[in-house]
Amino acid sequence: MQVTGMLWGSKLLKYVGFPTSEVLGPEATGEQVKDLIDRCGRVFIKPIFKGGVGKKGKLGLMGNCTNLADAMKEKERLYFAEHIQNNNVSKAEGVTFEGGVPAEYEIYFSISDSTEFRAPVITLTHHGGVDIEELPPEKIAVIPFDPLTGLKGFVISNALHKLGAPKELISPLVQNLPKLWDLYHNYGMATLEINPIRMMPGKNGRLIPVACDFKCAFDGDDPSVARLGLPDDLDTSSYSDFEQEVNQLRTYQGQSDVYVINDQGTIAAMTFGGGANALVTELLGDSANLSSDFGGNPPYEKMHDISRIVYKYWLEQSNVLFIIGGKANNTDIYETFRAMADALRDHFNKYGPTPLYVVVGRGGPNLIRGLGYLRDTLDSLGIPYQMFGYDSAMSEVVNYAQAADEWMKKGGREQIAKKLGITE
Amino acid sequence: MHPQGVEAFPHYYVGVNSLDDLVSKDDRICVLNITGGESRTVTPVSHVFSGGNIVCGTAPGRSGSSMKTKIGNIPVFDNLPQALAAGHEFNTVVVYLPPGGVRDGVIEAIRVVSNLKKIVILTEKVPVHDARIIRAVGQMHGVDIFGANCLGLADAHKQIRIGGALGGSHPAESLVPGSVAIYSNSGNFTTTIAVYLLTGGWGTTVSYSSGKDVYIHFGALEWTHAFHNDDRSKCAVMYIEPGGYYEHKLEFNKPVVACIVGRWKAKLTKACGHAGAIAGTGDNAEAKEDWFKEKFEVDDIFSPENPVCSAKGAVVTNIAHIPAAMTAVMALGKAEPDFAPRGDLSLKCWFSNTQGLDLPAALKPALVEALEPYNDQIAALSEQVGAVFPRQAMKDTSGASMMDPKTQVTRIHGTTVLDASTHSFEENLVQSLTREYPDANGTAMTNVMLNAFVNQAGKVGLAAADAAREAGNSPNTSLSSAVALVGPNQVANARTAAAALVELFKKSGIEDASDTRYDFSSQVAEADASLFTMGEPCALSDNIAAAFEARGANSIFVNFVKAVAEKAGAQLSAAALMAATTTHVAWKALMRKRISAITVRNIPWHFKIFSTLVGSAAAGDQQSADTFCGVANSDLLNSWSFSETAHLALLGKRPNEEELYSFSVLLGLIITNGPGTISAQGAKGAVSADGPEVPERIQINKGYIGFLTHTGYAHGGNGYEAISFLVDRFKDSGLTDPGSKDHGLDLKAMATTYAKEYLAYKIKAKAAGNIGYAKIPCTGHPVFKGEAVNYDPREAFVGKLFEERGDYNVFHEFYKELVQSLFDTGVTKNVFCVNVDAVIAVLLLKMLWQPYAEGKISDNTMESAAFTTFLFGRMIGSAAEIDDHTNRGKNMDTRTAASKCKYAG
Repeated sequence: MQVTGMLWGSKLLKYVGFPTSEVLGPEATGEQVKDLIDRCGRVFIKPIFKGGVGKKGKLGLMGNCTNLADAMKEKERLYFAEHIQNNNVSKAEGVTFEGGVPAEYEIYFSISDSTEFRAPVITLTHHGGVDIEELPPEKIAVIPFDPLTGLKGFVISNALHKLGAPKELISPLVQNLPKLWDLYHNYGMATLEINPIRMMPGKNGRLIPVACDFKCAFDGDDPSVARLGLPDDLDTSSYSDFEQEVNQLRTYQGQSDVYVINDQGTIAAMTFGGGANALVTELLGDSANLSSDFGGNPPYEKMHDISRIVYKYWLEQSNVLFIIGGKANNTDIYETFRAMADALRDHFNKYGPTPLYVVVGRGGPNLIRGLGYLRDTLDSLGIPYQMFGYDSAMSEVVNYAQAADEWMKKGGREQIAKKLGITE
Repeated sequence: MHPQGVEAFPHYYVGVNSLDDLVSKDDRICVLNITGGESRTVTPVSHVFSGGNIVCGTAPGRSGSSMKTKIGNIPVFDNLPQALAAGHEFNTVVVYLPPGGVRDGVIEAIRVVSNLKKIVILTEKVPVHDARIIRAVGQMHGVDIFGANCLGLADAHKQIRIGGALGGSHPAESLVPGSVAIYSNSGNFTTTIAVYLLTGGWGTTVSYSSGKDVYIHFGALEWTHAFHNDDRSKCAVMYIEPGGYYEHKLEFNKPVVACIVGRWKAKLTKACGHAGAIAGTGDNAEAKEDWFKEKFEVDDIFSPENPVCSAKGAVVTNIAHIPAAMTAVMALGKAEPDFAPRGDLSLKCWFSNTQGLDLPAALKPALVEALEPYNDQIAALSEQVGAVFPRQAMKDTSGASMMDPKTQVTRIHGTTVLDASTHSFEENLVQSLTREYPDANGTAMTNVMLNAFVNQAGKVGLAAADAAREAGNSPNTSLSSAVALVGPNQVANARTAAAALVELFKKSGIEDASDTRYDFSSQVAEADASLFTMGEPCALSDNIAAAFEARGANSIFVNFVKAVAEKAGAQLSAAALMAATTTHVAWKALMRKRISAITVRNIPWHFKIFSTLVGSAAAGDQQSADTFCGVANSDLLNSWSFSETAHLALLGKRPNEEELYSFSVLLGLIITNGPGTISAQGAKGAVSADGPEVPERIQINKGYIGFLTHTGYAHGGNGYEAISFLVDRFKDSGLTDPGSKDHGLDLKAMATTYAKEYLAYKIKAKAAGNIGYAKIPCTGHPVFKGEAVNYDPREAFVGKLFEERGDYNVFHEFYKELVQSLFDTGVTKNVFCVNVDAVIAVLLLKMLWQPYAEGKISDNTMESAAFTTFLFGRMIGSAAEIDDHTNRGKNMDTRTAASKCKYAG
């Protein structure tokens, strides 16, 4: 799950007492917005995108107004704004109104886990407010630190000295930035980025760091995020209905990772193992409708549930049901194939038969019993199939599945439909 | 802040200097959570393969037990201090704990094991938060950590594996000694690459599955250093996925083939598959291809068509190209493969069915004989008939029934009890055992066969049931005494005949047992006639055969047993006809491997019990040699359905069409509430105690006794509570026909009057501090609540069924008025649902009302009839559980561990 923007960002930052800009949600009345403008001098209107939307491509997707009439016009313009980046289209669901924060300096700050240092690192610069990739390396400090002691003030202080940051920045940042480690480490985050933190003059001219934008991603395997009590629908835009339904099955025994590759795809690939997932999805390209990894020896019940959901969403449009994996180390082929076969039979019983070609490549414990069970099921359902030994190159089996898909597109589907007595 | 390990890594701790040290003969291992689901299958194989390198394991609460392996048992302790105190010494800990326990397990191991060198973490989905801490703690104490989410380490030369399941259940098949070291982000591909390499003539040294979490504690850099220092490893394969900078700074001094897969992952916005395989622009697959191309000084990806490589190495993007790339790279350094290629990677089709479709040649691959030992297994598969279910502990578990907690609707073999209630009693009895509903012939034969054995006149069992009733027992207790007498000897002939039929016809290719065109002359020639015939004339057998004809029932198996008897010139036995009938109804499911041969052999026994249970429900004085409850045996055989017979046994008359429908629905609704219900627990416990691992010894009749003893006045008899409630409302109403809309009663007024009475009672009871005041039966439900108006979907389903038929039930209508009145008068805060138990009560009462109103039956008889009806319905579900447990269960698997039992002092 990812959270972007200050509407929820400000709530999260308040858990650790980090100062934030004032934020109103889409439900704010004109009176409230006017009041915010009166107090802060200006208001920024930003579209709310669910899930992870980065800074890139956001150009023009922000209003900057000093009166209510303009603010309302901007609200109308941005309420359903679209953000396009790398073919991913996100549609806004409302806007936030964020009070302006007068400042001379803008800070970029993030915490993540570095594969280079194999430790948590901070990335810090006082040249913030822009894409971090646009800055030269000497303007950025990337500092690893010990997770057992946590992020301490001296780490911040050293980093700022290294960057040659103005002195007035050091004390307020040393005082406030370590709070963000608590948020990061204790609530299951995998990345946390605040850009910009605007350094607002407070009483006596001392600067106060104020978070003005927020982005974080949570570790899907960390239950600590539940402690924040975030609403379930905060990041629904990142997940299709299908993905959400499968995600509910996440338990530690057995993978159940799925990703919709092409919702028009015609090969439903049930893939076992992270490696097979990477390879098969790459080779299938757009002909696949989903990318999946169901390895890790899922028990019968879980595999049955997964199959039921996959079939429910994808079988009707699919030409080929493609079951593929390497030679399993510990995944029981009989249990997993029995579950897939039973779910297929149940699917046909419930929704009626659908024209299908089944291609299988697999190895592992109880292999022949598993293949035999699926064979008998497909025989009884009247579905054509080929099952290949694990000593066949996986890429060749993928090519075969694609050939079957092509044949289905060129009249094969009708042939099978006729055999099964269905009129499409 | 870390001890100094290998000198090449001054800034952090690394203990392993050579791949030769990665897996050592001296490594002694303790497995945490050794009895966990995955470890249970993997650890014994590792132990045996490695010549016994596991000294002990831990599993909380299991101290004193052991894990059995072929080369001796591995002792299990509650925790590490206990294992150490017992004198076990080990330097390696393998972690199979659930994700939430991994961090603490690692910290504990490092804290208490003084000589600890290596920790291998198999667990998937360890939070990054915990990996951070694990890394820091391991570094501080100088322990090498592998994983998490890895599959461990294996050395083909030493034939040792540590941690996970590299090489699967038969490691020696894949881990063949050679000169290639493997580093793989994918556990499965570690083995798959080793298998692929064999086809190029390459064996392996050390295989290492690194895992692909964000934190890889023993990463590519440390591995490469160890690879360089291992003289056995002449070259290496690295399988690398996007994400992370682990490989960025690698420098090699031996040849390497790098397989980089996952360009498509650049599209991902969240991890799919490996948690750490999500990349930015600098560490995506394309970037990694470039890193390695630069290292190997090549300008393209290697493929068989474009074999670009240098003596330093090659980059491939398809694992199938690894063997060819390895051979090409090594040839440049004048090195030959380790041995002659073993097999190849061409497409090998093991199973195919083109279903007679007009396919292009490319989609009609020739079948290839599988490599050993799979070829023998495939040959054996064609010999095996029916399903063979894996045995597992079946406590509270069922392969027959399942309740959906959301809808509260239970399924039996995938069919909801709601749908089952639209089928007849006999169809549901068959489905409970064969998982499929019988065809018309099967139903007709089932009716004949169940009716043939329903008359219990002169049988000891009936005398026992009568005596039990006389002694004041409830119906279930009385009936169990009759069922006890249907022991294995009573059904031995029919079971033997059923098994013989399966053996004779298993390769016949018959799909539909009703298709009597099949020529069974070869089976007749082969058959042992003594299994299907008897020495003396048998009227019952003749009557059954005649009844089949009277009903026009066609079956290959009936024709076959007749032909065998005719050829032998002997009397066909009733047992043979029973076997023919049960094999007929089971055949399709058996051929499709939905049921086992064990089940087919047992169905005659179940059938005999069905007849006995229904027959013994009628008192002895209702039965004579020729009649049952006043109906001639021949009539039952020739024209009655078993549903009608059950109705007759219960209420003394043949039901009309409407009554029969209600009766069937009623029995259908009662079939099951899932494996947790007490009656199912009783049945399963009885099977478990006989030891299903030797299925021949299971006493099926005892299973039914288990079901019967696990019903009673509270479970099964409680339907009477609602009946009694309704009787109180209607006894003075003058109602004669509850099925007629013209009853002349003002149901609304009756409901309102009662609601007001109840309100007054409730207020008074509460004022008196009586919290346990009487509740109105069958209204409300813990799941179907909270709306302004609530419905139990099961009640709604049945209500609609009857509405569509135009069947009326005054008691059901009264219940609907009642929940509304309870709301209107303020007894309830919203309109409660009428729950499914009410439906059962109103259907029952409608059946019983007329004889009750006419004074023909007493309250006691009515209660007993209600209870017996429940037993008939639940007999269906119990049959399914008994058979399922017989097929899947383990000996004594329903017992509760002493540690989970409580003492209430």
